[in-house]
Amino acid sequence: MKKLLTAVAASALMTAPALADDIKIGSVAGITGPIAELVAPIMDGRALAAEHINGAGGLLDGSQMVMVPADSQCDPKAGVDAGNKVVNVDQVVAIIGASCSGATNGMVQSVTIPAGIPSISDSATAPSISDLDDKGLVFRTAPSDAYQGAALAQYAYDQGFRSLAMTYANDDYNAGIATVFAQVFEQIGGMITANQVHEPNKASYRAEVATMAGGGEADGLALFAYYGGSGITIIKNSLETGSFGKFVGADGMFDQSVIDQIGADTLRGNIWLTQSASDPDSASYKSFAEAYAATGNDPQAPYAAHGYDATFMMAMAIEKAGSSDSAAIAKALMEINDPSGVEIGVGQWAEAKAAIAEGKAVNYTGATGSVDFDANGDVPGFYGVNTVSADGTWETTLLK
Amino acid sequence: MDALYGYGIYILTLASMGGIYAILVLGLNIQWGFTGLFNAGVAGFIAVGAYTQALLTTPVSARHIGGIELPIPLAMVLAMIISAIVAYFIARICVRLRSDYLAIATIGIAEILRLIFKNELWATNGPRGVSQIPKAFESLPQPWNIVAFLIMVLAIVAVIYVLMERARLSPWGRVMTAIRENEQASAAAGKDVERFRVESFVIGAALMGLGGALLAQYLKQIDPQVSDPLTATFLVWVMLIAGGSANNKGAILGAFLLWTVWSATQILSGFLPNEIVVFGFEIGNLQVRSAYVRIFLIGLILQFILQQRPEGLLPEQRPAPVGMGKPQGERA
Repeated sequence: MKKLLTAVAASALMTAPALADDIKIGSVAGITGPIAELVAPIMDGRALAAEHINGAGGLLDGSQMVMVPADSQCDPKAGVDAGNKVVNVDQVVAIIGASCSGATNGMVQSVTIPAGIPSISDSATAPSISDLDDKGLVFRTAPSDAYQGAALAQYAYDQGFRSLAMTYANDDYNAGIATVFAQVFEQIGGMITANQVHEPNKASYRAEVATMAGGGEADGLALFAYYGGSGITIIKNSLETGSFGKFVGADGMFDQSVIDQIGADTLRGNIWLTQSASDPDSASYKSFAEAYAATGNDPQAPYAAHGYDATFMMAMAIEKAGSSDSAAIAKALMEINDPSGVEIGVGQWAEAKAAIAEGKAVNYTGATGSVDFDANGDVPGFYGVNTVSADGTWETTLLK
Repeated sequence: MDALYGYGIYILTLASMGGIYAILVLGLNIQWGFTGLFNAGVAGFIAVGAYTQALLTTPVSARHIGGIELPIPLAMVLAMIISAIVAYFIARICVRLRSDYLAIATIGIAEILRLIFKNELWATNGPRGVSQIPKAFESLPQPWNIVAFLIMVLAIVAVIYVLMERARLSPWGRVMTAIRENEQASAAAGKDVERFRVESFVIGAALMGLGGALLAQYLKQIDPQVSDPLTATFLVWVMLIAGGSANNKGAILGAFLLWTVWSATQILSGFLPNEIVVFGFEIGNLQVRSAYVRIFLIGLILQFILQQRPEGLLPEQRPAPVGMGKPQGERA
């Protein structure tokens, strides 16, 4: 035992000076826990950005950007613990993450804000994060739910929906979008005939569907759920009972299995799903999609592009700050989106490095869009609407 | 930042969380260790304490009720009292149940409490939880805020420990043990078994409420995950069993030890190479995968301790019987 401890201590001491040139960034995410399968592609998105940066000259004077992973388990307890570990033990200069809103909220409030470490979350969408007194340290590339709910409400209204029944799975993500959706839809003149929360993973939702159908005549159903948890079952139950024939929803429902299990002919022209999307025609998205697909992943994976952008922007801020000082990085994060600056896109690290070295202003346009931080450190986000195409797959059109 | 300073801060935060768990484990020790009440709903009482603290101290918010902005110590006392009141009503109904039935009933109650916190959107903001919870000493500059919070937690642990030790050695504690070992005999000796069991359940739950109140402050953000059975009920039970049921020192030791294992294993994962080749199979992404090993490790430790030291690291020590020469045999 004594030998083992000595060996561990010795290796700790030996690795420390060897890594002195590296710049460490905490990569906190819900690696285990309820959204584990969503997090793996996000981690790959972050890793791809770090690869692009290290492959094209690295940070500052050739330092490597090292991503230090930590598990936030989608839980505030674990998020705070993971934050404490990367900030204090690994001495990271900045953090990407944490994944879930609860874990992010806990981590930034009890660890990174007091310690003065900047953080960019790539998938926390809770509106409450905008309200924090964050001393200019908390950013995110994932748009707040407030924006997606509003975008969908406006789109549904424009499609001619005037009355909708609504149901949402009782988790922080779906409940958040649903609340904003209902509010905005009623503001612009629509009517919510029934508002029913449901617990995911039940075998049948006939009771919920019947309650909603009893709420009055509705043009369709607004459904906020994860497809595997309850979404597919609710669509099935609605069609079986003839209660609802048209559906609008958000990105939790976006999966090929929805079409495969319900039938393309049934859903074609009857379902609209918004998704936090990228402009598929933009050069930046194309280069991301190509590089990311080469790693064996689907570029459409939720928040993978946000993970890439968060990591790339952190690197640009470090370069812009000219040092690995956390306070300088936080300040520089607000300076990498100068509209008059040199355009920098996905993968163009060498160009970014050169422009910053010459003292020019830079403007990063990421895989997810222009990613301009506002005063709260939020981005407005872009949305696409998915409908069922002739060959039975999802077809995305960008909402302008 | 200096590396040693960083490690120092990390150890302080580790100890704060360990101390909070120690309070929870001491609460469970009264219920299970002393009296033999199988409370499988620890998470429910943690949640009651945490939400009480959160809703009473946060500033006005459109997302949840509250906005009273009570002083932190007062809210902590109220968290204990409300947790105790909830426990009293539960105990009146359930405490007569035999241990395994009590376990089933308390699991159900914890789940009911969790669903209430999750579904009463108007009061608790549902799954989004309560944010910006004031934390004791947070206005002090770093690192003194962390030091002061830790001292407060450790002081509370020390006070509870002293009181529990006195209780254990007192006639009250002996009755509790008697009830645990043989209920009928205690009843035959004229003890009001049900009253003692209710007392034990309520005091234990009050401590869990206090632990929940400290947890809410420490995290500054709580949501229904705070009553997640894995990191609340299950981990607290493992701490008690590993440390030594019915031994207060063991309960505290178990809490600090298991939390260190839980948290510090992620430091070790940093030393892993990112890829290894085993028997020709390439195993990639090890640093990410190692996150799963931590959960496995906790189970492994429990197995090991149950096999090798069924009474925990520090076994129960009975107080010497009054008026009799030699102590009775160890608990089976």
